[in-house]
Amino acid sequence: MTKIINSNEELIDIDDEAQNANQQIGYAWEEEYKRSWDVLQEDEDGGLKHTVEHLQSRKRKRLERDTSIIKRGIIRHMFLIIDLSEAMLEKDLRPSRLDLTLSYAEQFILEFFDQNPISQLGVIVSKSGVAEKLMGLTGNPMDNINVLKKKNIDTDGEPSLQNALEMARSSLIHVPAHGSREILIIMGSLTSCDPGDINETIDNLVSENIRVSIVGLAAEVQICKLMCKKTKGTYGVVLNEAHFKDLLFEIIPPPPVSIVKSKSELVVMGFPRGVNESMPSLCAWYDYACIYRNAVKGISNL
Amino acid sequence: MKFFIGNLPIYFPYDKIYPEQYSYMVDLKKAIDAGGHCLLEMPSGTGKTVSLLSLIVAIQANYKEKRKLIYCSRTVPEIEKALAELRNLIEYRTKCGEKDEYLGIGLTSRKNLCINSSVNQEKWGKVVDARCRNLTASWIREKSKLYSPGEVPLCNFYEKMENDNERQRMLIPDGVYTLEELREYGKEQGHCPYYMARRTIPFANAVIYSYHYLLDPKVAELVSKELSKDCIVVFDEAHNIDNVCIESLSIDITKPNLDASAKSIAKLRDVIEDIKKKDSQRLRDEYDKLVEGLMAASQERDEDVYLSNPILPEDLSHEAVPGNIRQAEHFVAFLRRFVEYLKTRMRAQQVVAESPMSFLQNCREVTLIERQPLRFCSQRLTSLVRTLELSDLNDYYALHKVAAFATLVATYEAGFMLILEPFENDTIPNPIFHYACLDASIAIKPIFRRFKTVVITSGTLSPLDMYPKILNFQAAVQESYSMTLTRNCFLPLVVTRGSDQVAISSKFEVRNDPAVVRNFGQILVEFSKIVPDGIVAFFPSYLYMESIVAMWNDMGILNEAWKHKLIFVETPDAAETSLALENYRKACDNGRGAILLSVARGKVSEGIDFDHNYGRAVIMFGVPYQYTESRILKARLEFLRENYRIRESDFLTFDAMRHAAQCVGRVLRGKTDYGLMIFSDKRFARADKRNKLPRWLNQFITDACTNLSTDMALVTAKKFLRTMAQPFERDQLGVWSVEDVERQERSNVGVGGRAAQFN
Repeated sequence: MTKIINSNEELIDIDDEAQNANQQIGYAWEEEYKRSWDVLQEDEDGGLKHTVEHLQSRKRKRLERDTSIIKRGIIRHMFLIIDLSEAMLEKDLRPSRLDLTLSYAEQFILEFFDQNPISQLGVIVSKSGVAEKLMGLTGNPMDNINVLKKKNIDTDGEPSLQNALEMARSSLIHVPAHGSREILIIMGSLTSCDPGDINETIDNLVSENIRVSIVGLAAEVQICKLMCKKTKGTYGVVLNEAHFKDLLFEIIPPPPVSIVKSKSELVVMGFPRGVNESMPSLCAWYDYACIYRNAVKGISNL
Repeated sequence: MKFFIGNLPIYFPYDKIYPEQYSYMVDLKKAIDAGGHCLLEMPSGTGKTVSLLSLIVAIQANYKEKRKLIYCSRTVPEIEKALAELRNLIEYRTKCGEKDEYLGIGLTSRKNLCINSSVNQEKWGKVVDARCRNLTASWIREKSKLYSPGEVPLCNFYEKMENDNERQRMLIPDGVYTLEELREYGKEQGHCPYYMARRTIPFANAVIYSYHYLLDPKVAELVSKELSKDCIVVFDEAHNIDNVCIESLSIDITKPNLDASAKSIAKLRDVIEDIKKKDSQRLRDEYDKLVEGLMAASQERDEDVYLSNPILPEDLSHEAVPGNIRQAEHFVAFLRRFVEYLKTRMRAQQVVAESPMSFLQNCREVTLIERQPLRFCSQRLTSLVRTLELSDLNDYYALHKVAAFATLVATYEAGFMLILEPFENDTIPNPIFHYACLDASIAIKPIFRRFKTVVITSGTLSPLDMYPKILNFQAAVQESYSMTLTRNCFLPLVVTRGSDQVAISSKFEVRNDPAVVRNFGQILVEFSKIVPDGIVAFFPSYLYMESIVAMWNDMGILNEAWKHKLIFVETPDAAETSLALENYRKACDNGRGAILLSVARGKVSEGIDFDHNYGRAVIMFGVPYQYTESRILKARLEFLRENYRIRESDFLTFDAMRHAAQCVGRVLRGKTDYGLMIFSDKRFARADKRNKLPRWLNQFITDACTNLSTDMALVTAKKFLRTMAQPFERDQLGVWSVEDVERQERSNVGVGGRAAQFN
């Protein structure tokens, strides 16, 4: 018995709509309210102590960390890299990621020089696949703040982590060994448009003792996590505006210095010293003059 | 840690244990003690394998009867992982002072194990097999003895093993060998790892290999014939087991197959003529042997048999080969007639579906070929190939396929269907003869019957009562476990409409509607903005994926997505896909981010893990139903309805949902991992679809996230990703230490009385 299959045989209805017609599926707005004050749980005595403690615990933890006795390097050389990609236009942080970042960056710079008076800071921005140095390493907070205040800061395309890092690295290579070398990145984008292999850049950063810390504004990106881990920096992703500030300001206290690594040589500063060159040179004074100037500035900041 | 379940001391190689691991062991022990089969569902990545191995090894060590563990997994990396886990466990037991003499071995194809540099260069598994046989077949080794050494190429590793074997009983020292270590050991000793593994199987305490070695009758007979009754058989990742069973007994014959067979037959005839002139004694010997019914020249077959009988051992008739095909030339003529008959059938212009019985009847009317000789076709061909001492067996592949087809058709009546499709896509003439097995229980029946305990386990087996039905067995224990998580590390979201409130669905009527396609595209673009690193997207079929991607391209959606992530596409071509995968991983690693578009039943959805940054989100575009117009599927659905009373829609939904669960499960391969699971189809919101998802998945689908529009889903997803990015404090919440386990054990004993004593 050979059966010829008729091609327009009844289709098997896999989408049995009627079956569930009488089944109620609630809309989101029909659901129960989620009340934020429900988070506050009273304990047996009707107090809120426990909950409040829990909320404060993180803040306290940060403060506690500061009290331990470790040697800290107060001469820091840091580049602040700010992502100016299109992702910074998102408004999930009020007023927008960009505005908030710029205003926090300003506060950060002031606070940074307040706590690290003889350090230097520079600013790099990255957009549409290139990096741009707005300000080289300088000891004057107003220089940095002024470049960020300029109106021409606009966003475009994707950032390039590698370009920005390389730019910062090329400037940081030359700083003397007694100061720390650091990079802080504020990153709103989840992608990076790189010309080459970023892993090589990371390896270079590791070998040159440059510490990279990143504050992410959206989500955890693997390469950032890896980079911070390798270079012994910190990586945080912001939850809200306040948390953003917390994360940013965590970078401000001077980082501990491992005693083995740092050559604990005395740094000459404050007074110029006559050096007798046997051969005439272009600028035998320059280095010392720089340190002198910075030191004076540092003192005036205090 | 060490603890007791009943009286059984169990060593668990970690300090902490999850409650579900503990209950998994308890249930498994119950099933083994009761001597029944069991069906256990627990998400992978939560230590399923280690729980299973710890318990079974404990049973092996403490029970009087030495039961062997047969552990079947799906892919080579999974086998490798299981072996590593087993070795870890045995090392831990040794450290704790248990003196086990334990031999664990893995087996995989020659392609993965061969260490002969002249052979293992080959790309295709089949070619490696053929080359290996050309070096190791018994007649070639016989021949080499006649000539001076070096004239007939042989495999040094195989020869050395044979020589050593003759001198002393060859045994690998106790221990657990991963595949790589097996190769290393083989290299060290100069032995062939493949044959070493195969010969060790009878002595090993644990054997880990692929499903096919047990389920596919062609292979099972060679490898797994001598396993004793009290083995504990485990099928891991078994959610697809019914398809494996069906595939192992189904054969597709195409026109090129028939042409190649006709050629092979002509060649065979020439060889026979040739031998008749030179060495007619050999053919006569074979004839005599066949008359006596002494088919099994058992010690030779180990190396020589190449494509053995496709039917299951118990269905093999014990009669001698019928008279009309005993003579070699008669048999060849017989084959030619059969091939010609198939060719004429293929000229049909209509789709034909018939039962094996009607096929046989028609065959008899037209060609006078009886059922009995057809049944012995495969066996007879194997014998002939051996007698003629043919090398290059690869050339005879098509003929073997036809012979296997003949044997199967003549052996089985119920549960099979012959379908002839003369056209591909209803237009291109490309006739295919499908011999389709409809009943998954046929292939697995001997396993359930032979072994006392068969464990079927996977991350996705829901709904649990479906498997006992379609595989036709009684489960002593069937259980699904929820998942204890230290944090909610995955977030299932059901997106039912786009931001413009148009309902989205891959339903046939609306799937190509521009509004739906645009909304699907919108989901992809928006999620590519907020999800870091890798996104995997699954479509129901290649066809649908192609049409959607083309439409996205026209709409400019791809360009939009490109800004945020690179896009890779899975294709049916394995090499292309693995290249795409490699680059996908690279893009995920270096921060560029990538999207992989793949297909729910493709290679990617089954064997490849997207852990951590390789898959932060998985998007299901549509419900992955099978292609319901397929005639084979229709026949199977009809069969299931008539024989097992499973409604068509039930089976289709079950099948779609297990694939969906499998796809989304790809992103979560451990408890430190996290990921988004986005089901974008309005049909996912229905209760009948959702309750077919595994329990561990269902427990995290809250009402709040079952009926979302794209923008609502985005807000939830953003928050989730931020929360997950916070430093993970391992406050081992919900994890048990030894004391907890002991407390639980005491309460079990208190409630259920003394656990079963040792036998």
